[in-house]
Amino acid sequence: MARLGTDKFVVEREKEVATRLSPGVFPTGRQSEWSAQNRTLTHSVHPLTSSVALCVAGKQPREQLKTEIRVYEQDQRIYVCGFGTTPDERLSFINDTHAVFSAIQSIMDARETHVGADALLRMSALYREAMLRQVRVLQDARDSEFVRSESDVFQAMHAVWHLLEIVYVTTNSGLSASVVPYYMEWLNFNFPAPAAADGERIIGSSPDSNALAQNPDVWPYVQKLALRGHVTTVANMLERIAPAQVLSAAASRWARELAQTARDMPLASSDETSGSFNARWRRWNSGLQSMATNIGSMLDKADDDALSALAMVVDVMRGDADSISRVGDTWQDVLGAVLLYSEPTAQTERLPALAQLVLEQFESDDFTLVDRTLAALVRHELPEFLVYCNQIDAWLSAHVSDLMQHIGILDSCRRVFKVEPREHYLVFLGERYLTHEGLWRVAMDYFGLCRTRVSQNIMGEYIVRMPLESDRKAQQVLR
Amino acid sequence: MNSLQVQPVARKITGIRWLPPRAGNAYTDTDLYFVSGSSAKHKELVLWTTANPDFQPTDDDKDNDDAESSSPLATLVAKVKHDGDVHDIAAPASDIVATASSFGMISIYNIGHTDNGDSSLSLREAVTAHKFANGEPAVATSLSVQPTNSADAEIASCGEDGRISYAPILRLDALQRHEVDSTVITGVCWPMPTQLAIATRAGQVKLFDRRAPAEVQAVFVDPSNTYEFECIAAHPSQSFRLATGTDTGAVLLWDIRNPKKPTMEAFNVHESNVWSVGFHPSDAAKIVSCSEDASLAVTQWVSDSDRQSRGVRHLSGFFNTLSVNCFDVCPFTRTSIIIAGSDSGNLLMEKTAASDFAIY
Repeated sequence: MARLGTDKFVVEREKEVATRLSPGVFPTGRQSEWSAQNRTLTHSVHPLTSSVALCVAGKQPREQLKTEIRVYEQDQRIYVCGFGTTPDERLSFINDTHAVFSAIQSIMDARETHVGADALLRMSALYREAMLRQVRVLQDARDSEFVRSESDVFQAMHAVWHLLEIVYVTTNSGLSASVVPYYMEWLNFNFPAPAAADGERIIGSSPDSNALAQNPDVWPYVQKLALRGHVTTVANMLERIAPAQVLSAAASRWARELAQTARDMPLASSDETSGSFNARWRRWNSGLQSMATNIGSMLDKADDDALSALAMVVDVMRGDADSISRVGDTWQDVLGAVLLYSEPTAQTERLPALAQLVLEQFESDDFTLVDRTLAALVRHELPEFLVYCNQIDAWLSAHVSDLMQHIGILDSCRRVFKVEPREHYLVFLGERYLTHEGLWRVAMDYFGLCRTRVSQNIMGEYIVRMPLESDRKAQQVLR
Repeated sequence: MNSLQVQPVARKITGIRWLPPRAGNAYTDTDLYFVSGSSAKHKELVLWTTANPDFQPTDDDKDNDDAESSSPLATLVAKVKHDGDVHDIAAPASDIVATASSFGMISIYNIGHTDNGDSSLSLREAVTAHKFANGEPAVATSLSVQPTNSADAEIASCGEDGRISYAPILRLDALQRHEVDSTVITGVCWPMPTQLAIATRAGQVKLFDRRAPAEVQAVFVDPSNTYEFECIAAHPSQSFRLATGTDTGAVLLWDIRNPKKPTMEAFNVHESNVWSVGFHPSDAAKIVSCSEDASLAVTQWVSDSDRQSRGVRHLSGFFNTLSVNCFDVCPFTRTSIIIAGSDSGNLLMEKTAASDFAIY
């Protein structure tokens, strides 16, 4: 792909794919000898699909050669290689999402303006359901490198799409102004932590509260639970630990107090004003602040490991940035805890500023592609976000750009890209689908529903090259 | 529009047929079997089984657009590769299926069941029934089994070469071919054991006597419209009634009692090519059709004395947006079951018959 009109990032070239011909056309290491005997390779690319036919050819016609060349079996083979093909395992997903894509365009046609937020939310949920179905299907499939890779791709796509939906659709639909509960739901669904198995192992290996209190894994586990907002589980764990006789009286007392405070954490409801909620939140937070002060003064007088660990839990829950950064493993963790405990009524507009503060604490060189994509999204860097989506999967960039068009936020990308982004990605996806013999109709639909002059021209070019294997197919192509 | 149940199968299904019961004439099997054929990248014949709804608790008839139900509609039992795209399937017996392929071949497959519940599909024999004058294979577009209980029943096929061919099911090597038209013949059926009817791309219905197949008995056209016919079906008991599907989405009902003056009525039930049409096996007052517009239609037609009861019911699925290529209605159960196959890679099914129709 060409460099885009920005110096902030460079689009990586598509990975080169190498295919080794098997069986080969000449013995290993004897290419020069083979080539000297009037041989070369010739190829032809299929006009529709991404397949290449190649075979051995002569540099000169045999009749012009002075000496006779022996013809081997390898000289008479034709190899057909496919690249960038659509795997069969995706057919059900492609079909389902094609139906949703078509429905969105129909809704848009009917309304003649931007699609309403409710309709978009419904369609977005259908896309996510399709991705999750595909993840489940892959989990049931026999394990292989391909299945693992596909599973990672679809989990990444779901995480990206889900956050996009929260940032631009859900919180704009009037259902709730705060992005925080949706962000926490997104975080815990797509990046679940701590593992439930860890909790079961800790509880299972600790027959009583003394053993539980002495388990080296229990306090890091409780701190992680607090970081992720699992306050009920935090309370349950603290109530199990509190009776332990190995704990100091102070630790035991504050464990009980913190358990009750965790249970009292205010939750927003739709029939409460933000002012009323904020008042409740301030009262609750000030209780944690005084708890932290009291615990701190006790720790000044004597070392108490359990009390120190408890203090960390309190610090996380009162929104102390340093403690949150120490407990959090990923920037998504830290951002979630900052939102939940410092700005529980934050709206979407606050995300870029908060995300920037959090991201600065992490080495971006260690970021995965998914991290970069999500970071670009929360910072509202939409052109960068779109490019990273394409690096995850062509399906994602095509449908994200379509969704962005319907939401009305694609204009910022148009100023950066040299081509119309929605058209570019939809056409690219359609061309990918043409590599599969059974998806030509779906590909044509994507070209057609793109509704630009370029896409119509491209559809026209492919239609006239469509092989007509039967009268019925000819009727379908003509239609 | 009522919803079809959808099961994604990742195959473009172009042929589908219920198998007759294994237990004999009375259908007491708790499981039903059907065969589907697919095209494009995966050319296969697949044997499926599904629960007989006559032995199941009745489901509430509710709209359900979710492609994933709690249990699959049908379970794959056996499959075999097919030579060419499957264009049509016939099931003359519970252990035999015949297919028409894009390579112009008629193939007979045996279905085997073992005592431990395993099943198999295997090719018994195949014959090239359709080819062009230059020797290139021509697509065999349709198949029909002679409606007789004889063990030596014939199977007729038609193709893009303008020919019809006949062969006894058990002796395909005795195949006979007759050139009957210069255009594509899109459908063939047997109104009577001694009579064949074909539908052509040129918008004609032609009748042939099996005993003199080279001679056309009658030709019917609709002079007021330039239809192209995609399929044809014969009424199960009234040999003078035929139904044809057109390229414009209309289903035509013919009465050919007077060959010189046939009557025809058009039902505009679809928005695009009607790929398959058939009379409902347990209620021939209904015509079932499927179309490129991704829907099935059940059209209630009645004799002129009772026009008020006419109506049409459309069936579709949210996740099925591409052509419904084929369907079959199970003739062996009290509950009406329609199965269909589509370009969207889905098996479609409707198990309960609704009682109300939109006024046509």
